[in-house]
Amino acid sequence: MSHTLLRNEPGFGWMLLCSTAIHLACYFLLVEFHFPPRPFKEGPVYYVDVVTLPVANPRAGTPSSPGRAPSGPAQQEMALPAKSSLKASAKPKPPNQKPATSKETARQFEERMAKIERDVDAKHHSAALDALQKKVATAGNGGQTGMPGAKGTEAGSDYASYIRSRLTDAFRTTISFQTKNPEVMVRLTIDRAGKVVGLHFERSTNDRIFEDSVRRTILKAAQTFPPPPGGEKFEYSYRFAPEGVSKK
Amino acid sequence: MKKIFLTLLAILSPALVHGQQGFLDVTAPGNRQLQLGISACKSLNGGQNPEIVKEIDDVLRFDMTLAGPFSVMSGTGGNNDSGIRPGDFNFAPWKAAGADLLVKSGYRVSGSTLTLEFRLYDVFKEKEIVAKRYTGNIRDLRKIAHTFDDQIMLAITGEKGPFTGKIAFVSNRTGNKEIYLMDYDGYNIQRLTRNGSINLNPDFSPNGREIIYTSYKRKNPNLYRRELFTGTEALISARRGVNITGAYSPDGKRIALTMSKDGNSEIYLIDTSGKQLARLTNNQAIDVSPAWSPDGSHIAFTSDRLGHPQIFIMNADGSGVRRLTTSGAYNDRPRWSPKGDRILYCRMEGNGFHIYAINPDSSGDTRLTSEGSNEHPRWSPDGRFITFSSKRGGKEAIYLMRADGSGQTKVSRGNAGDSHPTWSTRW
Repeated sequence: MSHTLLRNEPGFGWMLLCSTAIHLACYFLLVEFHFPPRPFKEGPVYYVDVVTLPVANPRAGTPSSPGRAPSGPAQQEMALPAKSSLKASAKPKPPNQKPATSKETARQFEERMAKIERDVDAKHHSAALDALQKKVATAGNGGQTGMPGAKGTEAGSDYASYIRSRLTDAFRTTISFQTKNPEVMVRLTIDRAGKVVGLHFERSTNDRIFEDSVRRTILKAAQTFPPPPGGEKFEYSYRFAPEGVSKK
Repeated sequence: MKKIFLTLLAILSPALVHGQQGFLDVTAPGNRQLQLGISACKSLNGGQNPEIVKEIDDVLRFDMTLAGPFSVMSGTGGNNDSGIRPGDFNFAPWKAAGADLLVKSGYRVSGSTLTLEFRLYDVFKEKEIVAKRYTGNIRDLRKIAHTFDDQIMLAITGEKGPFTGKIAFVSNRTGNKEIYLMDYDGYNIQRLTRNGSINLNPDFSPNGREIIYTSYKRKNPNLYRRELFTGTEALISARRGVNITGAYSPDGKRIALTMSKDGNSEIYLIDTSGKQLARLTNNQAIDVSPAWSPDGSHIAFTSDRLGHPQIFIMNADGSGVRRLTTSGAYNDRPRWSPKGDRILYCRMEGNGFHIYAINPDSSGDTRLTSEGSNEHPRWSPDGRFITFSSKRGGKEAIYLMRADGSGQTKVSRGNAGDSHPTWSTRW
């Protein structure tokens, strides 16, 4: 008796294998049906142009009235396919479909189906718009999109980098020095109108010619400075040094 | 989550945060020379004197071209300018020509009195940087122009130029080696000695008012001191043997020189009256050509104690001798820069000499000349330039160059043999 029972016992390994397989199957079923893959949350996209000069109006800024969510695109502008007809044409007729009892009945059926599909599409469209508006409204900067604090006319980079690009361009035409490793750290203050109102040398290797070339650089570049974003005063430090000269 | 994201953003990208810590690098290649425009000198009282105009222009151009930081532009906008004061002329043509700086000048002659007015402008800012008016004898025209060029250097580089300094040198233009004095650019030559003998190795006192030199006028090479403004001369060392290569200490109170009174050439210290203070070297070798460090703490000199003449450095009391030059079989005539960072010397190569510069720690040994045979290097008082004698043009002549060896220019006039230049402080 005991011999028979022992021979019919599948054993611990077999039981463990079965149990694992069943658990895995249950897990994947649960994941598939109860936890559908979450949609990827898209944040605002920042385009930073670090190579070429910023374009004049990259449309990278915020809407003109901060805090207000942008209106959604007009429905008629969306390139929606003629779904009812597409779907109707996409549905192959069964080869052995029985002819309708009457032409009137078939037409009514198609109209009813098209109406149902239009309603479904409209609901999907409406839901998508709601989701978009909700996402925009709950995004950072109180619903603003694009470059933080920007107004829609700024270059495709942050303001400090933009100023650096202007300074670098001017520096190429003014750089001059008389010592081996000149270096100047300048604290630059730009008022809300884009005018340089502060120029403080925080650190310098005391190369007078280099300091003057930096001053000339800033004055030259300042002609092209736009107002800082957000209507605020801008203050930042820039370290000027000849290219290729080792930093101390 | 949003707060964490923004915090991380602020930390990782300081450029996005206005008025915060951090900095951005701004770099550019090259080292551009400042474009200096020189406007033609204007008459301030109506009378025209083309010679004055030309001479002023020549001096300004020579000084500023040699200076290094500037590229002198040729007369853009010149004749259309109506005046030299701010508001009297238009910056636009100079700005269009790419000028960074502009020198405007005017003159007024009244009898033998010359009034010169100079103004230096920043073209981009359209702003006056420095303005000076000088009045003097018309003979001092070049000196006045050099004086303003010193002011330009002060305004632009933070340190005055050496253009009002004089160069004392040895010339055999009369058939004998006499000591002469000239402007640094070779003009206004004055003869200092008239003994018909051999006079060598002039050296200016730190205040530029007197020189010491070695003369054979009493047959023995003795050391003399001469006051330039009075012409008074004093014999300060006539010890047996040589009394040569005298060099004033930076404080002007001591003189290091080579004497052989004790047998072979050794370096001694004497005071300006000739009293011996100390013997600095004591060995069987020849020790010559002492050169003071600018702080007076060290002396560089030439010695053949290792078999060939090499440059050594010792403390001003003679202790702590160490070898400076390790290359070349014959190195001589060291001269310490006024800033103390470089030492000039001559190295024999082939049939002639070339001028080298080396750091006091023996690093950075660099050859500065490449043409002809070049000797007797001396620094300008600001350390920006070097004067030396060269045989590259046939007869030995006085040349100038920048401290990096660039801009080598002959300043000797005529075909006489000129050598042993030494550059005084500003007069």
